Amino acid sequence: MDFANLNVVLNAGVILPESIIVVSLLIALVADLVSVKTSKWLPAIAISGLLGAVTVLIWQWTNLTEPLAFVESFNGDKLSIIFRATIALSSVLTILISERYFLQSGIAISEYITILLSATLGGMFLAGADDLVMVFVALETLSISSYLLSGYAKRDPRSNEAALKYLLIGASSSAVFLYGMSLLYGLSGGYTNLHAIASRLPLGGLSLIVAMVFVIAGISFKLSAVPFHQWTPDVYEGSPTPVVAFLSIGSKVAGFALAIRFMVTVFPMVYEQWHYVFVVLAIFSMILGNVVAIAQTSMKRMLAYSSIGQAGFVILGMAIGTEAGYASMVFYMLVYLFMNMGAFGCVILFSLKTGTDQISEYSGLYQKDPLLTLCLSVCLLSLGGIPPLAGFFGKIYIFWAGWQAQAYGLVILALAMSVVSIYYYIRVVKMMVVKEPQEMSDSVKNYPINPTWTADGMKPLQVAIVVTLVFTGVAGIASNPIFTLANQSVHDTPFLSASIQNQALKVELLKQLADQEPVSQLPALEPTIQE
Amino acid sequence: MNLSEGVQVVSLVILSAMVIAAAMGVVLLPNIVYAAFLLGGVFISVAGLYLLLNADFVAAAQVLIYVGAVNVLILFAIMLVNKRQAYPEFKLSGLRNTITALVCIALFCLLTITLTSTNWAIQPATFVLTSTLVTIAKHFFYDYLLPFELASVLLLVALIGAIVLARREFIADVQKDGAIVDESLSLLEKPREQLVGTKL
Repeated sequence: MDFANLNVVLNAGVILPESIIVVSLLIALVADLVSVKTSKWLPAIAISGLLGAVTVLIWQWTNLTEPLAFVESFNGDKLSIIFRATIALSSVLTILISERYFLQSGIAISEYITILLSATLGGMFLAGADDLVMVFVALETLSISSYLLSGYAKRDPRSNEAALKYLLIGASSSAVFLYGMSLLYGLSGGYTNLHAIASRLPLGGLSLIVAMVFVIAGISFKLSAVPFHQWTPDVYEGSPTPVVAFLSIGSKVAGFALAIRFMVTVFPMVYEQWHYVFVVLAIFSMILGNVVAIAQTSMKRMLAYSSIGQAGFVILGMAIGTEAGYASMVFYMLVYLFMNMGAFGCVILFSLKTGTDQISEYSGLYQKDPLLTLCLSVCLLSLGGIPPLAGFFGKIYIFWAGWQAQAYGLVILALAMSVVSIYYYIRVVKMMVVKEPQEMSDSVKNYPINPTWTADGMKPLQVAIVVTLVFTGVAGIASNPIFTLANQSVHDTPFLSASIQNQALKVELLKQLADQEPVSQLPALEPTIQE
Repeated sequence: MNLSEGVQVVSLVILSAMVIAAAMGVVLLPNIVYAAFLLGGVFISVAGLYLLLNADFVAAAQVLIYVGAVNVLILFAIMLVNKRQAYPEFKLSGLRNTITALVCIALFCLLTITLTSTNWAIQPATFVLTSTLVTIAKHFFYDYLLPFELASVLLLVALIGAIVLARREFIADVQKDGAIVDESLSLLEKPREQLVGTKL
């Protein structure tokens, strides 16, 4: 088989973005070996590789005719494109905010960049994986890189603890996920492609439900949905802050991409059951994440619990299961990327200057550093959902989609919980802005000028904070392009739109039957509708 | 039941008994060296199970990698650390163990019911076996090509990560301005006071 034929079979152009990242990973690795001079360029190499990948993804958005690649083990449809671009962008912003942090704590950045790039790579492959083997290898690439990243500050016992906890819980959840996948492999009679499995699964039965529960348990660990969230606060507190930023965005986006693709493709037979489980996960995550966040004194821990709560809102979009529901998920992830990254950038800047992340130490910051106060306030208020910032439109879209799908109870609960979240976000803002000069905390009183914006590695941090600030501020008002993008990504993705249409048909048929026939005859007719 | 089936059933029972006994030993024995050797026993018995499933290459790889490399590495780690430490008793350890045992037994029962009640789509193994190596290679270079390549990135990163974690750091105690830096290679954020209090 010659090369041209091979490429027709493999359709390797679909994974061009990932190939660019692999190449930049290798270049970064070699550049670090060559000399000290070239190792200064590592962040630039990584960022240009990631931005190159994003550019290719933008090109693929309109120009990709055949999305299936590598004998259907990878799917480059629009949903995967938008998730992969989000993961790559989160990685870019993470590198921007991490340079100074590692410089100041004396940790070498070169391996960090390699590991971060491979985590990005794992996440991006996970977002498009269409085969059990591919899903698992991509998931492990993401997870193992994440464990390494969270233990990167290796002289710090907190970082060691975080890495060990993450590794142990992550390994056991991978094992559970793998068990669920092996059940699927057996039930389908030896197939690993998601679509092939879906067409060969039995219509129901205990084994299918057990497989579904195990798969959901494995995925929920990545989403850190309650009750699979126990690792989150400790890992977030102990990991280096830029790593936390990546874990709370890049890793979570990959998890959501996996959740949508896996559940919608493989489990149409038990559609009601898995939706029910996700509704429960959403309710628990929203309540626990937001309520426990109130009691936190450390900023990183508070953001950890708030990210659990935010994941709850996104799961709500998935549990609704309509086109608007999925589109609102995509929209919220895009917005969440920028506002959460902005918040972490500001937390990093504050800890660079004062060496603490206690919420009480932020009091009176307004007098000393108005810019930092402004950025952090905008990002936190956006996370809480205050109009006219981006987060408000993200939340309102999810709530609107829920209301349309007649999930009134869920939407009211989500509204109540976002009020709770506004409380703890505003508490920080109030702490920074309202306090009188005599109420300033000690670290703010001794607020140092150094590191100034001209110091080594501070420029990238500034760029990241400003970009996220502008996006968080403007994306709310000018949200229409993102809105269209999210809608298109759901509408033009074959497996998702097919599932949405099927469900809509099913609901309509049931309604018609309920109108025409006496209710007692409904159960007898149901199996024909399911097929 | 003909002779070959009888041999298969007997070896399955023996191998399963070996796996269970050795695994129980790994978990229950207090001496970590015995546990490590028994772990090798578990790996070898699992390799035997693979052989029963006609997966000769996987069985060989299992022995080479798990027994030859992983288990030896574990034994080396135990030898090098060589630290005896009495672990403090957990609070309510009896209650915790009981609850864990109940959960595990319930899970076991659930899985047993699942496995026995399902009508598995199994093809009878009547086909002529070609070399499993050829089959694996075909998969690696055709439908599982992408995961195969991605696994190489995964291994590269695992290698780099292992080096990063194991590398000895030469910390410059004195910086340019003469200030002594103790806190390099740790997080920038100071630990919380109550956290330090409980640790000490």
